[in-house]
Amino acid sequence: MTERLPLLLPEIAMFIGTCLVLVLGLSPSLAARKMTGIVTGGTLLLAGILAVNTSTGYASQIGMPMPGLIGFGKALIALVGLLLVLLVAGTVDRGYERMILAGRATYNASRALRAEFYAFFLFSLMGAMLCASADDLIWLFLALELTSLPTYVMVVMSRAGSDVGGDSKAWSRAQEASVKYFFLGALGAAIFLYGFALLYGGTGSTKLVEIGAALSPSAEPNTIAIIGLVMSLVGVSFKIAAVPMHFYTADVYEGASAPVAAFLAFTPKTAGIITMVLLATAAGWGYRDTGLMIGGDRGTLPPAADVVLWIMAIATMTVGNVMAWMQTSVKRVLAYSSIAHSGYMLVGIIAGPGNGSFEQNGIAATLFYLLCYGVMNLGAFAVLACLENSSDESELQTVDDLRGLGRRHPALGWVFVLCCMSMLGLPPLLGFIGKFGLFTSGISAGRLPLVVILGLNSAIAAFYYLKLVAMVWLEEPGDAQDRVRPVPFGTRRIAAILSATGVVVLAVFANQLAVSSQEAARRGPGVMLKPRSAERVEPAAPATPESVAAVDRVR
Amino acid sequence: MDGLTLVTTLAQSNIAAYLPIMVILTMALTFAIGNIVATKLIGPSRTGEIKGQAYESGMNPIGTARKRFNVRFFLIAMVFLVFDVEVVFLYPWADTFTDLATGGKDAALWLGRILFFLLTTVVAYLYGFRKGVFRFD
Repeated sequence: MTERLPLLLPEIAMFIGTCLVLVLGLSPSLAARKMTGIVTGGTLLLAGILAVNTSTGYASQIGMPMPGLIGFGKALIALVGLLLVLLVAGTVDRGYERMILAGRATYNASRALRAEFYAFFLFSLMGAMLCASADDLIWLFLALELTSLPTYVMVVMSRAGSDVGGDSKAWSRAQEASVKYFFLGALGAAIFLYGFALLYGGTGSTKLVEIGAALSPSAEPNTIAIIGLVMSLVGVSFKIAAVPMHFYTADVYEGASAPVAAFLAFTPKTAGIITMVLLATAAGWGYRDTGLMIGGDRGTLPPAADVVLWIMAIATMTVGNVMAWMQTSVKRVLAYSSIAHSGYMLVGIIAGPGNGSFEQNGIAATLFYLLCYGVMNLGAFAVLACLENSSDESELQTVDDLRGLGRRHPALGWVFVLCCMSMLGLPPLLGFIGKFGLFTSGISAGRLPLVVILGLNSAIAAFYYLKLVAMVWLEEPGDAQDRVRPVPFGTRRIAAILSATGVVVLAVFANQLAVSSQEAARRGPGVMLKPRSAERVEPAAPATPESVAAVDRVR
Repeated sequence: MDGLTLVTTLAQSNIAAYLPIMVILTMALTFAIGNIVATKLIGPSRTGEIKGQAYESGMNPIGTARKRFNVRFFLIAMVFLVFDVEVVFLYPWADTFTDLATGGKDAALWLGRILFFLLTTVVAYLYGFRKGVFRFD
């Protein structure tokens, strides 16, 4: 167990940072409280540096299922986490701190939420990081729950209560969203935990590597394990907000404030996608440099899992895009578009690793798209987080509130347009390169119907993304838009501009990123096929009179 | 594997191995239901004000149990829970620790692990302290 410690350095840094934040955020001194966000950012920076320096060679030496994914996943989470920490500034305690400054309240630690909020923020990101270093079902389950449990509370924390000047209607909606999220999350967790239990029951091991051996085509068919695999995939689809577990998404994102909605759209989804990649790799996907391929050329998922993923991908893409098109609230549009993006990523998982080159490697394309999605989706939410109604500091509601945004606030307008265009997949931007990988891997895997539906969905997506873009740049702002003003948190604007910059600049470095995602998608050399059938004891031949007589003679 | 094969594979799995579980389930259900039914049928039914009261040395009830309690009771209960769960983990640890070789590499490792675990409890208490859980005024 200790040989794993060098791989967990980012998580250890995150844990120490969380403990610091937890105590620092409750300090009676305002200056110390203001440090909380900075310490959170510093922790993420340190974790990111440690993650980049994770030794892939060492990880494959100790037999991790996907050695490259450990460093890549954690670096990705730390990078987007850094943008998120800029974005969540001022989410909690805004009204309360103002009351203290105005002398209408004295500081009372039991009413302040800052420490808990940032601690939960780090805990959740730490859970997602732990998913990347998982090689065991129990580890995976705990990591997934560590990712999700803090987010349930963050939803309700993100709106101010009416006692500190918050809008009571928004607050009760946040409470409703939080409870809804929690119960559906518990349902999802129950389903994939049952799946994990069946996987263990069917294969006799919680290690992903050994489960992979039991599910390999050369082993005997293992119905219970396959049912377990399918249930795990369906249960984890809650985390990535894929159909059939997508129902909470729009309500929860709308109930939470925009920065926390951006957090929800990234962190649990990343953890879920990494889990799905690990499960799919364990259950079939894999290629090795030795030329010894698993299950023929490219490896095969068990057919049942393949069909379920296929249905999920198509339903998720279509439901997400069609529903997004029908919404009038900006956050609901973005929520449904995030569902659609989950569907796109599932296409990569279905396509599988191919021959390992980026054009054919669906797993690498999925991981690469996760990075693209994290950056561009955050930008769109960041624009919403940067704006508020001047009358009651409430968030923007309808698409109409964005009318003429480009004229009033050109910087935010550009950020929004760039991010929307990238999510749409327009050529020079990051989103295009992400989608390109998904398309080519799908085609090379011979999944033409899937690719055609992916293309059709990109066309449907154009309707609502272009509607948003036209609203921001082509329409003139009216009197109703006069009440929209920027929020007094500069870091949120920095987050928005950084993610728009990322959408352009990362596209330039797409080649290097593609190479590293390709490395991340590589299956560890330590994963040797050990068909369990070899160990299986053949059932004894039925006793015949001769054999009984033979035994008697020996006696 | 298509649906039909799946169903047949399930049907062919060794159902007989689950027979003991079935027997236990039946016994449990029979015992529970049988007792309730038997009590209803043959037990005498006498009720009264005295009989409905708290048993023997119990306190006489005053008012309803659905009363508002001070929130501190809950806070104390939660702080206690931290210790409680910690002790639950300490027992199996202590039991295994005595089996390890004295002064060996494993012993130091196991000690380090439990010390780290205790440290997390300290963090929880530090947090509770700053949050004002222990302020009883």
